[in-house]
Amino acid sequence: MNFINLSLGELVAIFSGISALMVTLYLLDRSRRKQVVATLRFWTHAESNTELRQRRRIQQPWSLVLQLLSMALLLLAIAQIQWGSLERNAHDHVLILDTSAWTGARTARGTIMDDERLAALAWVRSLPSSDRVLLVRADGLATPATVMESRHAAVENAIRDSRPSSSALNLDQAIEFAKRAQHQGRQSGEIVYAGPGRLASDESASSPLPSNLRVLTINKPLENCGIRRIGLRRSGSGSGEWEVFLSTRNYGTVEKVAQLAVQFGGAPIGNRTLTLKPNAEQETVFPLRTKAAGLIEARLINNDAFADDNRAVLEVPEQKAMRVIAYTDEPEQLRPVLAANSRLTAQFRATAAYDPSPDADVVILDRFVPQQPPKLPSVWIEPPAQRSPVKVKTVAATAKLSRWNNDHELGQGLRTKDVDLANSEIFTPADGDVVVAESDHGPVILARPSSKLIVLGFSPTRSAMKYELATPLLFANLLRWVRPELFRRWELNGGTVGPVETEIGKHVDPSAVHVISENGKAVPYTINDGRLRFFAGLPGTVRVQTGDREIVYSLTLPEVGVAAWNVPATVRRGIPTFRVTESPVKDLWPWLAFLGAAGLFADWILFGRGRRAGRVAHVPARASQRVLQKRAS
Amino acid sequence: MNSATPATADPLLDRKLLEKLERLTVRWRKSFAGLVGGHNISRFSGPGQEFLDHRHFHQGDDLRAVNWRAYMRLEKLFLKMFQVEPRVPIRMLLDTSGSMITGESDKFLYAQRLAAALCYIGLVRLDTICIQPFASHLHDSFLCGGGRHRFVPAMHFLTGLKPTGASDFLAVTRQFVANYPQRGLLIVISDFLDEGDCLKALQYLSDFGHELMLIQLWADEDRTPPWDGELDLEDAETGAKLQLTFDASARELYAKSFDEYADAIERVAMRNDGRYVGISTSLSLEEAIFGPIIQTRVVQ
Repeated sequence: MNFINLSLGELVAIFSGISALMVTLYLLDRSRRKQVVATLRFWTHAESNTELRQRRRIQQPWSLVLQLLSMALLLLAIAQIQWGSLERNAHDHVLILDTSAWTGARTARGTIMDDERLAALAWVRSLPSSDRVLLVRADGLATPATVMESRHAAVENAIRDSRPSSSALNLDQAIEFAKRAQHQGRQSGEIVYAGPGRLASDESASSPLPSNLRVLTINKPLENCGIRRIGLRRSGSGSGEWEVFLSTRNYGTVEKVAQLAVQFGGAPIGNRTLTLKPNAEQETVFPLRTKAAGLIEARLINNDAFADDNRAVLEVPEQKAMRVIAYTDEPEQLRPVLAANSRLTAQFRATAAYDPSPDADVVILDRFVPQQPPKLPSVWIEPPAQRSPVKVKTVAATAKLSRWNNDHELGQGLRTKDVDLANSEIFTPADGDVVVAESDHGPVILARPSSKLIVLGFSPTRSAMKYELATPLLFANLLRWVRPELFRRWELNGGTVGPVETEIGKHVDPSAVHVISENGKAVPYTINDGRLRFFAGLPGTVRVQTGDREIVYSLTLPEVGVAAWNVPATVRRGIPTFRVTESPVKDLWPWLAFLGAAGLFADWILFGRGRRAGRVAHVPARASQRVLQKRAS
Repeated sequence: MNSATPATADPLLDRKLLEKLERLTVRWRKSFAGLVGGHNISRFSGPGQEFLDHRHFHQGDDLRAVNWRAYMRLEKLFLKMFQVEPRVPIRMLLDTSGSMITGESDKFLYAQRLAAALCYIGLVRLDTICIQPFASHLHDSFLCGGGRHRFVPAMHFLTGLKPTGASDFLAVTRQFVANYPQRGLLIVISDFLDEGDCLKALQYLSDFGHELMLIQLWADEDRTPPWDGELDLEDAETGAKLQLTFDASARELYAKSFDEYADAIERVAMRNDGRYVGISTSLSLEEAIFGPIIQTRVVQ
């Protein structure tokens, strides 16, 4: 006889507690009940009949016995008692089933996963029925698929339901998990690994192997070439110029020749013939010129065992340019400054053609104050003092530029000093205004964040500033402050599912970092020494946002293991033969549960409230009352 | 016992039941002396409309009743006697002792509603109704008569009654006989659960000349207590206590004892040409009036 869910001690302890509770409730239920009645006249007649029974504390001993017996049966059912001569040294085994991406590779009989399932099922069927098995699906993470299960049919179903994932095998983590799971159970059995043994890296099997490890070897194909990474970066040659870089790898042992084709939006943009050396990676770069959004698709055309890594897709975002309208009567003064920035398109209009709400992102008003202020973010250059949007304190005939506000993003990178400014307007800042630049007479450039308004007290392109490097930098800062999202730096990376690590810099504020999956959910991450790490278990897109920078990871490629696990010779292999010494085990819990429930039901029928109510109804009505009631009806 | 008048309390009887009660009349069997004006015929002669008998004229008789036609033919003076229709008051003794409010069902509320219904029946037929609450002694009574419009004050009086104290039928009987010398129909609404000798008191009332109509009310738990096991009982009126173990066989003995007591009350009524009806509060008031009560012919 054997208890599956509870030990004998636990069973006895729980039954003792329940018994004590039941006896207490029983005595409380049968305790003396206080009742106010109309008269004691008739009770005295009933009293003589029950006088002898007053001293008996337990009125219905069979009810109590039946209840205790029923609860004992139910507890035994919960403990899942089994009948049969179990072998004393039944064991707990852990089966590690490799579900890494490589198990989806084709073999002569199907896939590696199919062979794995057959081997794992054969091993489970060879076990004594008393042994328990925990199935762990191992890829980049070790995930238990069952509990420590004594029903081998449930384990076999879990094996059949296992599918290849997208990440590579981390064998150390899986074995460590298996060892911990075995320590919690009874006697440790075997830790069995079933799989091809293709690891994410050489370090994935660096820890010492347990002595009870068994390996179910799967014959694996060795030859495979695939795309490891796909990336997109801006080319330095101009706006809309990109470079698509691809990293391909030959995982096999012989040199391979493969065709690499790249398309954008269905149109081919490049085709190369690659000669891939064994166990090595090769980088290939394709130029791309586009401002439109679309999908870049790369295909490695070869006939190998694993097809999932022969195709990679990357999404290119739309390149929006900033639209600037400058109202000026001297457009040639501003044109060099605005034309220097490839991320904006500038239109120059006469002040007479002023429109308060033009189709643009920013408006520049050059020495001009309109009747109706613009409804967009605006840059005011040397507005007339009487109608300036910022109060003008004075107009200095000669002022010397003395300080830039480098702490604010508008003044970042600006160092020019001691520039003489003729007829510069000196402003009086209001509450909330940001002083960007000051002269020896006072503020000469102010920003108003509430309305995205910037006012310059002098014209940089007309004063001595036009020869300074600070002038184009100042305009770049102004425009980026007005619409920062148009100047955000993009990086697009395609890669494999699994752990991802990227450099974000040591000075990045951790509160400004967001890692978001394609469905908008936050992805857990760590930042250590300026490097951000996260794990993607499923194919998809992950965005890393750090202030003005956004890195998009298009993790559509499966992570293929690069290292082969060399199983030591001391490790046991193959399907073992266990000595079967026990008779077939029968589950008794359904019968016990039925008997327990039947006992409680019988107690309710025989001694419960239904029985009491029946006894009360049994007393016949008064004879005269019966006659009257009959007549009334 | 005071009789407050809660104006906003729910009425004891609804309109539909009152409409049904209007066709009923309170009847009694005995002949009582009383002023002319009632609707029950008396065997006593007196001023009335219906001829009863002749007798010889004696000196001092009213000459207006002499049968002059008989004198002309027989030359003897005969006096015509007429059947009197006296106005006899209907008195209701309503038990307001503590035993009327024990248990889950409210016997006292049932008694209030029953008294109100009988009062309404009497008022509709222009009878005079006297409601006399009692427990250990008689409380303040309420007299009404003269039509249905006097029913609302009667209902307010009944609503204002509060049951308390122990009942003492002997003391109440003595006080009642002393206070009300005129005989008449006496309706007693009670559970008759008196620690003294209730039967003797009822016999005394009957011997005095009243026609008894005994209405015994009981709750179901009064006759068949639903409890089992160890019981710690307390008398609602006297506070006396009793501990015992109660089971099915004891319940049967209890019910038997209760029935014997009820039969004894019924025998007292029947022996004295009175009437008895026992009503469980589980029976609705309408069913009780148009069933058991109407079968006793106290109302028709």
